[in-house]
Amino acid sequence: MRLGVDEVGVTELMGVTEHARAMATTAAALLLESLGGDASLIPPLAPGQGEAEVEALLGEIAAWAKAELGDARVPTIWRILAHNAHYLRATWWKDVALMTPGALTTRDKRRVALGVAMATRARYMIEYHTAVLRRAGDTDRDLLEILGVVDHYTTLNTLSEAMRIESDIRPPA
Amino acid sequence: MTTIRMVDPAAVSGKVREIFEAVLRRERTVFGASSVSNIWRCMGHSAALVEANWNRSRALMQRGDFTPLQRELIATAVSIANACHY
Repeated sequence: MRLGVDEVGVTELMGVTEHARAMATTAAALLLESLGGDASLIPPLAPGQGEAEVEALLGEIAAWAKAELGDARVPTIWRILAHNAHYLRATWWKDVALMTPGALTTRDKRRVALGVAMATRARYMIEYHTAVLRRAGDTDRDLLEILGVVDHYTTLNTLSEAMRIESDIRPPA
Repeated sequence: MTTIRMVDPAAVSGKVREIFEAVLRRERTVFGASSVSNIWRCMGHSAALVEANWNRSRALMQRGDFTPLQRELIATAVSIANACHY
Protein backbone atom coordinates (compact mmCIF):
# COMPACT_ATOMS: atom_id res chain seq x y z
CA MET A 1 0.00 0.00 0.00
CA ARG A 2 1.47 3.29 -1.08
CA LEU A 3 -1.44 5.41 -0.02
CA GLY A 4 0.19 6.58 3.17
CA VAL A 5 -0.49 3.66 5.47
CA ASP A 6 2.44 2.28 7.44
CA GLU A 7 2.89 -1.11 9.14
CA VAL A 8 0.74 0.01 12.06
CA GLY A 9 -2.12 0.89 9.74
CA VAL A 10 -1.77 -2.35 7.80
CA THR A 11 -1.76 -4.36 11.03
CA GLU A 12 -4.87 -2.53 12.23
CA LEU A 13 -6.51 -3.36 8.89
CA MET A 14 -5.58 -7.03 9.25
CA GLY A 15 -6.97 -7.07 12.79
CA VAL A 16 -10.29 -5.53 11.78
CA THR A 17 -10.49 -7.91 8.83
CA GLU A 18 -9.89 -11.09 10.79
CA HIS A 19 -12.19 -9.91 13.59
CA ALA A 20 -14.99 -9.07 11.12
CA ARG A 21 -14.56 -12.45 9.45
CA ALA A 22 -14.65 -14.26 12.81
CA MET A 23 -17.77 -12.34 13.86
CA ALA A 24 -19.42 -13.16 10.54
CA THR A 25 -18.65 -16.83 11.09
CA THR A 26 -19.96 -16.66 14.65
CA ALA A 27 -23.22 -14.99 13.62
CA ALA A 28 -23.75 -17.52 10.83
CA ALA A 29 -22.86 -20.43 13.14
CA LEU A 30 -25.42 -19.18 15.65
CA LEU A 31 -28.01 -19.15 12.82
CA LEU A 32 -28.69 -15.49 13.50
CA GLU A 33 -30.88 -14.42 10.63
CA SER A 34 -31.31 -10.71 11.09
CA LEU A 35 -30.47 -7.96 13.54
CA GLY A 36 -34.11 -7.47 14.49
CA GLY A 37 -35.02 -11.17 14.54
CA ASP A 38 -34.92 -13.54 17.47
CA ALA A 39 -34.19 -16.90 15.80
CA SER A 40 -30.89 -18.43 16.94
CA LEU A 41 -29.17 -21.75 17.54
CA ILE A 42 -28.70 -20.95 21.23
CA PRO A 43 -31.20 -18.67 22.98
CA PRO A 44 -29.82 -15.41 24.38
CA LEU A 45 -29.17 -15.22 28.10
CA ALA A 46 -32.35 -14.02 29.78
CA PRO A 47 -32.20 -10.43 31.12
CA GLY A 48 -30.68 -10.13 34.56
CA GLN A 49 -29.62 -13.79 34.67
CA GLY A 50 -25.86 -13.27 34.25
CA GLU A 51 -23.24 -13.15 36.96
CA ALA A 52 -22.17 -9.65 38.04
CA GLU A 53 -19.33 -9.36 35.54
CA VAL A 54 -21.56 -10.45 32.66
CA GLU A 55 -24.25 -7.95 33.61
CA ALA A 56 -21.61 -5.20 33.82
CA LEU A 57 -20.33 -6.09 30.34
CA LEU A 58 -23.85 -6.19 28.94
CA GLY A 59 -24.39 -2.73 30.46
CA GLU A 60 -21.29 -1.49 28.64
CA ILE A 61 -22.53 -2.99 25.39
CA ALA A 62 -25.97 -1.44 25.92
CA ALA A 63 -24.34 1.98 26.31
CA TRP A 64 -22.39 1.40 23.11
CA ALA A 65 -25.54 0.23 21.30
CA LYS A 66 -27.46 3.28 22.43
CA ALA A 67 -24.75 5.60 21.13
CA GLU A 68 -23.77 3.77 17.94
CA LEU A 69 -26.92 1.90 16.94
CA GLY A 70 -29.48 4.27 18.38
CA ASP A 71 -31.06 1.39 20.27
CA ALA A 72 -30.08 0.48 23.83
CA ARG A 73 -31.02 -3.18 23.38
CA VAL A 74 -27.92 -5.37 23.38
CA PRO A 75 -27.61 -7.11 19.99
CA THR A 76 -28.51 -10.82 20.18
CA ILE A 77 -25.01 -12.00 19.29
CA TRP A 78 -23.63 -10.50 22.51
CA ARG A 79 -26.52 -11.80 24.60
CA ILE A 80 -25.77 -15.31 23.38
CA LEU A 81 -22.04 -15.06 24.16
CA ALA A 82 -23.13 -13.87 27.62
CA HIS A 83 -23.69 -17.52 28.64
CA ASN A 84 -19.90 -17.65 29.00
CA ALA A 85 -18.29 -14.69 30.78
CA HIS A 86 -14.81 -15.44 29.39
CA TYR A 87 -16.07 -15.64 25.83
CA LEU A 88 -18.11 -12.44 26.14
CA ARG A 89 -15.34 -10.46 27.83
CA ALA A 90 -12.56 -11.53 25.47
CA THR A 91 -14.65 -10.90 22.35
CA TRP A 92 -16.18 -7.59 23.42
CA TRP A 93 -12.82 -6.25 24.58
CA LYS A 94 -11.30 -7.26 21.28
CA ASP A 95 -14.10 -5.47 19.44
CA VAL A 96 -13.59 -2.29 21.44
CA ALA A 97 -9.79 -2.43 21.14
CA LEU A 98 -9.81 -3.01 17.39
CA MET A 99 -12.48 -0.46 16.49
CA THR A 100 -10.89 2.36 18.51
CA PRO A 101 -9.40 5.05 16.26
CA GLY A 102 -5.68 4.59 15.58
CA ALA A 103 -3.89 4.84 12.25
CA LEU A 104 -7.36 4.24 10.76
CA THR A 105 -10.54 5.98 11.84
CA THR A 106 -13.37 4.07 13.51
CA ARG A 107 -15.64 4.79 10.54
CA ASP A 108 -13.16 3.45 8.00
CA LYS A 109 -12.69 0.35 10.14
CA ARG A 110 -16.46 -0.13 10.25
CA ARG A 111 -16.63 0.18 6.46
CA VAL A 112 -13.92 -2.47 6.18
CA ALA A 113 -15.91 -4.72 8.53
CA LEU A 114 -19.03 -4.25 6.40
CA GLY A 115 -17.04 -5.14 3.28
CA VAL A 116 -15.89 -8.37 4.92
CA ALA A 117 -19.44 -9.22 6.04
CA MET A 118 -20.68 -8.60 2.50
CA ALA A 119 -17.91 -10.70 0.97
CA THR A 120 -18.72 -13.57 3.33
CA ARG A 121 -22.50 -13.12 2.81
CA ALA A 122 -23.12 -12.84 6.53
CA ARG A 123 -26.59 -11.34 6.71
CA TYR A 124 -26.67 -10.57 10.42
CA MET A 125 -23.30 -8.81 10.43
CA ILE A 126 -24.16 -6.93 7.22
CA GLU A 127 -27.17 -5.51 9.05
CA TYR A 128 -25.15 -4.86 12.21
CA HIS A 129 -22.33 -2.90 10.53
CA THR A 130 -24.80 -1.13 8.23
CA ALA A 131 -26.84 0.05 11.22
CA VAL A 132 -23.70 1.53 12.80
CA LEU A 133 -22.62 3.21 9.57
CA ARG A 134 -26.06 4.68 8.85
CA ARG A 135 -26.15 6.05 12.38
CA ALA A 136 -22.72 7.62 11.71
CA GLY A 137 -24.12 9.28 8.58
CA ASP A 138 -23.35 6.88 5.72
CA THR A 139 -25.87 7.25 2.90
CA ASP A 140 -27.30 4.74 0.41
CA ARG A 141 -24.66 5.99 -2.01
CA ASP A 142 -21.87 5.32 0.53
CA LEU A 143 -23.13 1.79 1.18
CA LEU A 144 -23.29 1.16 -2.56
CA GLU A 145 -19.72 2.41 -2.90
CA ILE A 146 -18.59 -0.16 -0.34
CA LEU A 147 -20.52 -2.87 -2.19
CA GLY A 148 -18.94 -1.75 -5.48
CA VAL A 149 -15.46 -2.40 -4.09
CA VAL A 150 -16.55 -5.76 -2.66
CA ASP A 151 -18.11 -6.65 -6.00
CA HIS A 152 -15.10 -5.65 -8.11
CA TYR A 153 -12.60 -7.40 -5.84
CA THR A 154 -14.71 -10.53 -5.87
CA THR A 155 -14.21 -10.40 -9.65
CA LEU A 156 -10.45 -9.94 -9.39
CA ASN A 157 -10.07 -12.54 -6.63
CA THR A 158 -12.04 -15.09 -8.64
CA LEU A 159 -9.93 -14.54 -11.74
CA SER A 160 -6.62 -14.60 -9.95
CA GLU A 161 -7.49 -17.76 -8.00
CA ALA A 162 -8.91 -19.51 -11.07
CA MET A 163 -5.81 -18.67 -13.09
CA ARG A 164 -3.42 -19.21 -10.17
CA ILE A 165 -1.79 -15.90 -10.82
CA GLU A 166 1.45 -15.34 -8.94
CA SER A 167 1.75 -12.05 -7.15
CA ASP A 168 3.95 -9.54 -8.92
CA ILE A 169 3.33 -6.87 -6.31
CA ARG A 170 6.42 -6.47 -4.14
CA PRO A 171 6.56 -4.76 -0.76
CA PRO A 172 8.56 -1.55 -0.72
CA ALA A 173 12.27 -2.08 0.07
CA MET B 1 2.25 -21.29 -11.91
CA THR B 2 -0.53 -19.59 -13.76
CA THR B 3 -2.93 -21.93 -15.53
CA ILE B 4 -2.64 -19.97 -18.78
CA ARG B 5 0.17 -18.12 -20.51
CA MET B 6 0.16 -14.42 -19.74
CA VAL B 7 -0.10 -11.96 -22.57
CA ASP B 8 3.07 -10.00 -23.37
CA PRO B 9 2.11 -6.31 -23.03
CA ALA B 10 4.49 -5.48 -25.91
CA ALA B 11 2.68 -7.87 -28.23
CA VAL B 12 -0.89 -6.61 -27.88
CA SER B 13 -2.59 -4.12 -30.16
CA GLY B 14 -5.79 -2.16 -30.55
CA LYS B 15 -8.17 -1.84 -27.62
CA VAL B 16 -6.16 -4.12 -25.30
CA ARG B 17 -3.00 -2.11 -25.91
CA GLU B 18 -4.87 1.12 -25.21
CA ILE B 19 -6.25 -0.27 -21.94
CA PHE B 20 -2.91 -1.79 -20.88
CA GLU B 21 -1.34 1.65 -21.28
CA ALA B 22 -4.04 3.16 -19.07
CA VAL B 23 -3.64 0.32 -16.53
CA LEU B 24 0.12 0.87 -16.36
CA ARG B 25 -0.28 4.62 -15.89
CA ARG B 26 -2.58 3.94 -12.98
CA GLU B 27 -0.49 1.16 -11.43
CA ARG B 28 2.64 3.28 -11.68
CA THR B 29 0.89 6.01 -9.68
CA VAL B 30 -0.78 3.71 -7.16
CA PHE B 31 2.03 1.30 -6.34
CA GLY B 32 5.03 2.22 -8.48
CA ALA B 33 4.60 -0.60 -11.02
CA SER B 34 6.97 -0.70 -13.98
CA SER B 35 4.90 -3.12 -16.08
CA VAL B 36 1.26 -4.13 -16.34
CA SER B 37 0.35 -6.42 -13.44
CA ASN B 38 -0.20 -10.15 -13.96
CA ILE B 39 -3.95 -10.04 -13.39
CA TRP B 40 -4.46 -7.78 -16.41
CA ARG B 41 -1.99 -9.78 -18.50
CA CYS B 42 -4.01 -12.92 -17.78
CA MET B 43 -7.20 -11.21 -18.94
CA GLY B 44 -5.44 -9.97 -22.07
CA HIS B 45 -6.46 -12.98 -24.17
CA SER B 46 -9.99 -11.62 -24.22
CA ALA B 47 -10.40 -7.99 -25.22
CA ALA B 48 -14.02 -8.09 -24.04
CA LEU B 49 -12.98 -9.23 -20.54
CA VAL B 50 -10.20 -6.63 -20.27
CA GLU B 51 -12.50 -3.86 -21.38
CA ALA B 52 -15.44 -4.87 -19.18
CA ASN B 53 -13.27 -5.19 -16.07
CA TRP B 54 -11.31 -2.01 -16.78
CA ASN B 55 -14.61 -0.15 -17.10
CA ARG B 56 -15.70 -1.58 -13.75
CA SER B 57 -12.34 -0.75 -12.18
CA ARG B 58 -12.70 2.85 -13.27
CA ALA B 59 -16.33 3.07 -12.19
CA LEU B 60 -15.88 1.38 -8.82
CA MET B 61 -12.26 2.06 -7.78
CA GLN B 62 -11.41 5.37 -9.42
CA ARG B 63 -14.63 7.32 -9.00
CA GLY B 64 -16.83 7.93 -6.00
CA ASP B 65 -17.08 9.87 -2.80
CA PHE B 66 -14.49 7.93 -0.80
CA THR B 67 -10.74 8.53 -0.91
CA PRO B 68 -8.58 6.03 -2.86
CA LEU B 69 -7.24 4.84 0.50
CA GLN B 70 -10.73 4.17 1.88
CA ARG B 71 -11.57 2.02 -1.17
CA GLU B 72 -8.21 0.23 -1.03
CA LEU B 73 -8.71 -0.67 2.66
CA ILE B 74 -11.99 -2.39 1.81
CA ALA B 75 -10.48 -4.05 -1.27
CA THR B 76 -7.62 -5.50 0.77
CA ALA B 77 -9.96 -6.78 3.48
CA VAL B 78 -12.23 -8.43 0.90
CA SER B 79 -9.24 -10.14 -0.72
CA ILE B 80 -8.19 -11.53 2.64
CA ALA B 81 -11.75 -12.64 3.43
CA ASN B 82 -11.92 -14.35 0.04
CA ALA B 83 -8.56 -16.02 0.85
CA CYS B 84 -7.01 -14.55 -2.27
CA HIS B 85 -3.22 -14.67 -2.19
CA TYR B 86 -2.70 -12.37 -5.17
